[in-house]
Amino acid sequence: MPMLTMTKLSRVYRADTVETVALDAIDLTIEEGEFVAIMGPSGCGKSTLLNVMGLLDSPSSGSYQFAGLEVAGLSEGQLADMRKRNLGFIFQSFNLIDELSVFENIELALLYHDDIAASDRKRRVTAVMDRVGIGHRARHRPSQLSGGQQQRVAVARALVAEPRLILADEPTGNLDTQHGEEVMKMLQMLNAEGSTIVMVTHSAAHADYAGRIVNMLDGRVLLEQRRAA
Amino acid sequence: MWRSYLTVAIRSMTRNRVYSAINIFGLAIGMAACLIILLYVRYEHSYDAWLPGSDDVYQVQTYYKEPTIGEMQASAYVAKTYLTKDFPQVSAAVFINAGGGGATVIKDGISYESPDAAFVDSNPIKVLELPFVVGNPKTALEQVDSAVLTQTEAKRWFGNANPIGKTITIAYKKGTRDFRVTGIVHDFPKNSQFKISMLLRWNIFSAFSEFPDMLTHMGINNGLLYIRLKPGSDIHQITSQIPAWKKRNIKDDDLGGQKLNWGDIGDVGIVNVRDVHLGSAQKGAMTPGNSITTVNTFAAIALMILAIGCVNFVNLATARASQRAREVAIRKVLGANRRQLVIQFIGESLLMASVAMLLGLALTELFLPAINVFLDAEMQLHYWGSDGMALPIIVLVLIVGAAGGIYPGIYLSRFQPAHVLKANKSAADPQGSGRLRAALVIGQFAISIGLMICTAVIYGQTIFARTSNPGFNRDNILQVNNMAYAEYLHANSDTLAREFGKIEGVRSVGRTTRGIGMSSNNNDVVRKPGQIIGSLKSQPVIARQKVDPAFFPTMGINLIAGRNFDPSRPMDDASTPFPEDLIAERALVARGINVVLNSFATRTLGFKRPEDAIGQRIDTTTNPKYGGWLPATIIGVVGDTRLGSIREPLDPTIYIYHKRFVPFAVVRYSGDPSVIREKVEQVWKRLAPDVPFKAEFSEDIVAKQYQVEQARAQIFAAFSILAVVIGCLGLFGLAAFTTERRTREIGIRKVLGASTRQIVRLLVWQFSRPVLIANLIAWPIAWWVMRDWLNGFDARIALTPVPFVGAGLLALAIAVGTIAAHSIRVARTNPIHALRYE
Repeated sequence: MPMLTMTKLSRVYRADTVETVALDAIDLTIEEGEFVAIMGPSGCGKSTLLNVMGLLDSPSSGSYQFAGLEVAGLSEGQLADMRKRNLGFIFQSFNLIDELSVFENIELALLYHDDIAASDRKRRVTAVMDRVGIGHRARHRPSQLSGGQQQRVAVARALVAEPRLILADEPTGNLDTQHGEEVMKMLQMLNAEGSTIVMVTHSAAHADYAGRIVNMLDGRVLLEQRRAA
Repeated sequence: MWRSYLTVAIRSMTRNRVYSAINIFGLAIGMAACLIILLYVRYEHSYDAWLPGSDDVYQVQTYYKEPTIGEMQASAYVAKTYLTKDFPQVSAAVFINAGGGGATVIKDGISYESPDAAFVDSNPIKVLELPFVVGNPKTALEQVDSAVLTQTEAKRWFGNANPIGKTITIAYKKGTRDFRVTGIVHDFPKNSQFKISMLLRWNIFSAFSEFPDMLTHMGINNGLLYIRLKPGSDIHQITSQIPAWKKRNIKDDDLGGQKLNWGDIGDVGIVNVRDVHLGSAQKGAMTPGNSITTVNTFAAIALMILAIGCVNFVNLATARASQRAREVAIRKVLGANRRQLVIQFIGESLLMASVAMLLGLALTELFLPAINVFLDAEMQLHYWGSDGMALPIIVLVLIVGAAGGIYPGIYLSRFQPAHVLKANKSAADPQGSGRLRAALVIGQFAISIGLMICTAVIYGQTIFARTSNPGFNRDNILQVNNMAYAEYLHANSDTLAREFGKIEGVRSVGRTTRGIGMSSNNNDVVRKPGQIIGSLKSQPVIARQKVDPAFFPTMGINLIAGRNFDPSRPMDDASTPFPEDLIAERALVARGINVVLNSFATRTLGFKRPEDAIGQRIDTTTNPKYGGWLPATIIGVVGDTRLGSIREPLDPTIYIYHKRFVPFAVVRYSGDPSVIREKVEQVWKRLAPDVPFKAEFSEDIVAKQYQVEQARAQIFAAFSILAVVIGCLGLFGLAAFTTERRTREIGIRKVLGASTRQIVRLLVWQFSRPVLIANLIAWPIAWWVMRDWLNGFDARIALTPVPFVGAGLLALAIAVGTIAAHSIRVARTNPIHALRYE
C-alpha cells in the first residue's frame, strides 16, 4: 500500500477578488521508504504541496489518502492526532522554541503522546540526540547553537516520535554549504534506515540525494525523475 | 506536559521583562485596589454583625413626611411603651441616650466630659448582648444606679485598679449621683453604630420629672430605641401592623380646640441593627453612617480597575501574538490540539494572575493600615475563617486568569501553522485583533476619563461645600457648648455671655439653640391666625430656633426687612421660667410673642416679598396644655443660613428670643484663636467650674462636617489615578509592541523621505484616536452619574463642560506622554536597521 496518494488534488486561495491556484489537479503517489525531492521555481506550489501532505493545510478539491485513509473531512482534532502519530517536520528556519532547551524542544514532540511514559521519553530523546550528534548540547538554548546545530535539533525533533513520514521544507535553505551537506547526509542515512522522506528544495545538488525528483511549475507536476538506487 | 507549559511560561515571562512587568504590575495594582475595596465593602456591610443574635435586634426609627425633617434614628420614649404593650414578639426594649448622649463625670471635684456615656432606662443587655470581660451580663444593669464601662473607659477612670464595686460620680440634675460599677465590657468595635464608653442605668421617669412631656409624646424624638424580638419572630408581622398600631395608640393633640394627630406627619420604622449603618435614616446616629450607593459605587470602581488590568492582559497577549505564533504553530505541527493550546494559555494567564495576586496582597498588606487610619476603620485582611479572604482571592485569581487567558488562547490557537511557519514569516496578526485591542483601549480610557470627570466634580463640590456662602460669616467664631447646663446649675448664662464679651479680641457674643454644624431638631407646625386645619400634614413645618438679640449681628446674618429683637421691648422676649410654670406659659400664649423669620420661611408662608411679612400674625404650635397655639407677630426677616451640611435642605426658620436654656454661645473674635479660647475657658472655669468646658472653632466644625465627603473624594481621586496609571501601563506596552511590529514599515517610510516628526505624529495619532473616542463614551455617562450625585445636595455646583474637556485633555496628554518617548526612539532608528528587522 502506498504511503500517500493524491488524486486530482487542488488548492485554491481566494482573497476578495483574486483567486490563486496554488495546486492544480496534482496526481502523486509516494511509497513507503521513498526519498522524494520536490523542486521548482518560487511560487510553483512546492511548500503548499508539502503543507497539504503534512495535514497543515486542506485541499480545496480532489482526494488525499494517507496510509489508505481519506484525509478530507477529518476534524481538526483528528488531523492533530494523525500528525503526531505519523508525521515529522523539518523547516528551513528550524522553528525551535526559544524558551526551551535542546532536550525540551525535542521532548516536546513526545509530550502530546499520552501513552509515552516520562522515563521512556527521556530515553528516546537522549537516543535521538546522540543519533544526530547533538547530545552534548542538551541543556543549551537554540540561540546558543549554530544554524547547523539548530537544524540537527529540528531533525531530532522530527525523528523522536518515530514518524512514518518526514517532511522537510528547504531544510538546508538557511545553512552554509558545509552544514547543508551534513544535514543532507543525515537525511540520506535516515532514509537508508527506512524513513520515508519528502523534501522541498531549490538545490539540484541536494535533490540528488533523493530517489525521485518531482518538478513542479504553476501548481502542476511537470516532470518526475526516478534515480537509480 | 504541564512542566513544559510552566517552563515556557516562566522563561517567556523572564525573557519579556517589560511585558511581564506591565502585565503583572498593572494587574497587581488592580487586584490590590479590588481587594481593598472588597474589604471596605465587606467592612461596611459588617456593621454590628458582631452583636450576638443581631438577627433579632432592631432599631426603631422615626420618619417625617416633611423633607426638611426627614428620617431619623431617634425615637420617642413612648414608642417603647406602645410597642412592648402591643407586640408580644418584642422580648425586651431599651431606650438609650434620652435627651442626648454624654455625661459629666465628677472626679476629685473636677468635671470631665464623657461624650460617649449612654444613659439607659432598662437593662440593655437583654437587647444588646455585649461581650463582658468582668461581671454578670444578666444582672449587671438590672439595678438603677449601676454602671458598665468599656475597658478603655474603666482604665480612664480607675487606672489599673479593679473598678468592680467602685462608684463613678455623674452630674445629675443640680447635684451628682453615684453609679456603682458592676461590669466591664469589651470596647465597641469601629464597625458599629454604637459609640458608647459606659452604660449608666437610671430611672428615666425621675430623670425627666421636670420634663414629663418628653416621655409621653410621639413628636419628641430624643433617644434611641432598640428592641429584641423573640427567636423565630417575623418582623413583617409587626411592621405590617404599624399603621393600625399608630391609630390605636397615638392620641390626638388638642391644639386650641382642634384635634390634630402626630401620626399624620410622622411614621415609625423598624430596622435591623445590621442595616442601620447603611440605612436611609442617618440623623441622630451615634456614628456617621454611609450610603449603600456609595458602597456600591466603590465596588463598581473596584471592578472597573480590575477590568482595566485584565484588558491590559488581553491586549498585550494578543499584541504579542506574533511572537507566540511560531511556538503555537510548532505545537500544532507536533500534534497539539486547540483545547490543549487554550489550556496552556489559560494556565499561563493563571500563573501571571497568581504572581500579580501575590504582589497585590503585599500591596494590600502594606497600604491597609494607612487606609484604616484614613477612613478611621478597622479593616483586616484575614485569610482563613468565616471572614477569610482566601476563597475570594482564589476565585479572583481564577476569574482574572480565565478572563485574561481565554481570548488570547482561542485567538492564538486559531493560527494556521502553514502560514506562520512559512520561511521568512515570523509575524502573524490576523484581521480583527487590532480592532478588538482598539475597542478595549477605548473602554479602558472611557473608564479612566469617566473617573477623572467624577473626581473633578466631587472635588469641586467638596470645595464648594466648604467655601460656599452659608448666609453668615463662617470664620472666627468660637462656639461654646454646655451653656444650658451652666444656666441650669447656676442661672448664669447671661453673666457668661457678658463676661465673654469683655475679653479682649471678642467682638460680640450671641446665643442659640442650634449651633453651627447642627441639623434642625425643633420644628413647629404653623398656621394663619385662627385657621382651622384638618390635618397636620397639610400645614407648613418650620424649624424653631431660640436666639438672643446678639445672635444675628454676631453671626453676620443680614437683616432683610423689619428689625432685630430688642432687649428693651418686653414683647420681643419670649423667655419663660424653669422649672415649668404653667401660669407663665399660658400668659405668654395669651400675650403672644414677636418673632423673626428667615427669608425661606416667608416664602413658605406665602409672602411674596420679605417686607410683606412684617407686622403679620402667625400661630405656631406649643404644648397643648399651654393652649396649643402660640400667636406670633413677625417683626423682622433675615437672610437664609445654612448651619448644617450642604446635603441637607435649607430650613425655613422661625427665630424666637429666649434667654433660658440656650445651649450654645457663638463668640465672634479677632486675633489669635488659641488665646481667645484660653481666655474664654478661664471665664468658664471661674463662673461654671462644675460644668465641663466644651468649645470648638467654626472652621473645625465645618471641616469635620465635610470630613467624610472629603475622605471619599480623596479615595475617589486615588482610584482614578490608579485607573489612569494601569490604563497607561497597558497603553505603553501596546505602543511598544505595535511600534516594534511596525519597525519595517517605519524604515520604508523613512527611506521614502518621512521625517522623524512625521513618523512620531503618525504613531501618536494612532494611539490618540482611541482616547478621543473614549471621551465620547465617557462624557455622557459621567454627566448622567454626576447629575444624579449632585442632585443629592441642596446647593451644588453647576455641571459645566470644564471637567469633561479637562479630563479628556488630561487623558490625551497622559496617553501622548506615555507613547511619545517610545515613538521618538523608534522613529529615530536608522532605516537600514529597521529594514533588516524582518
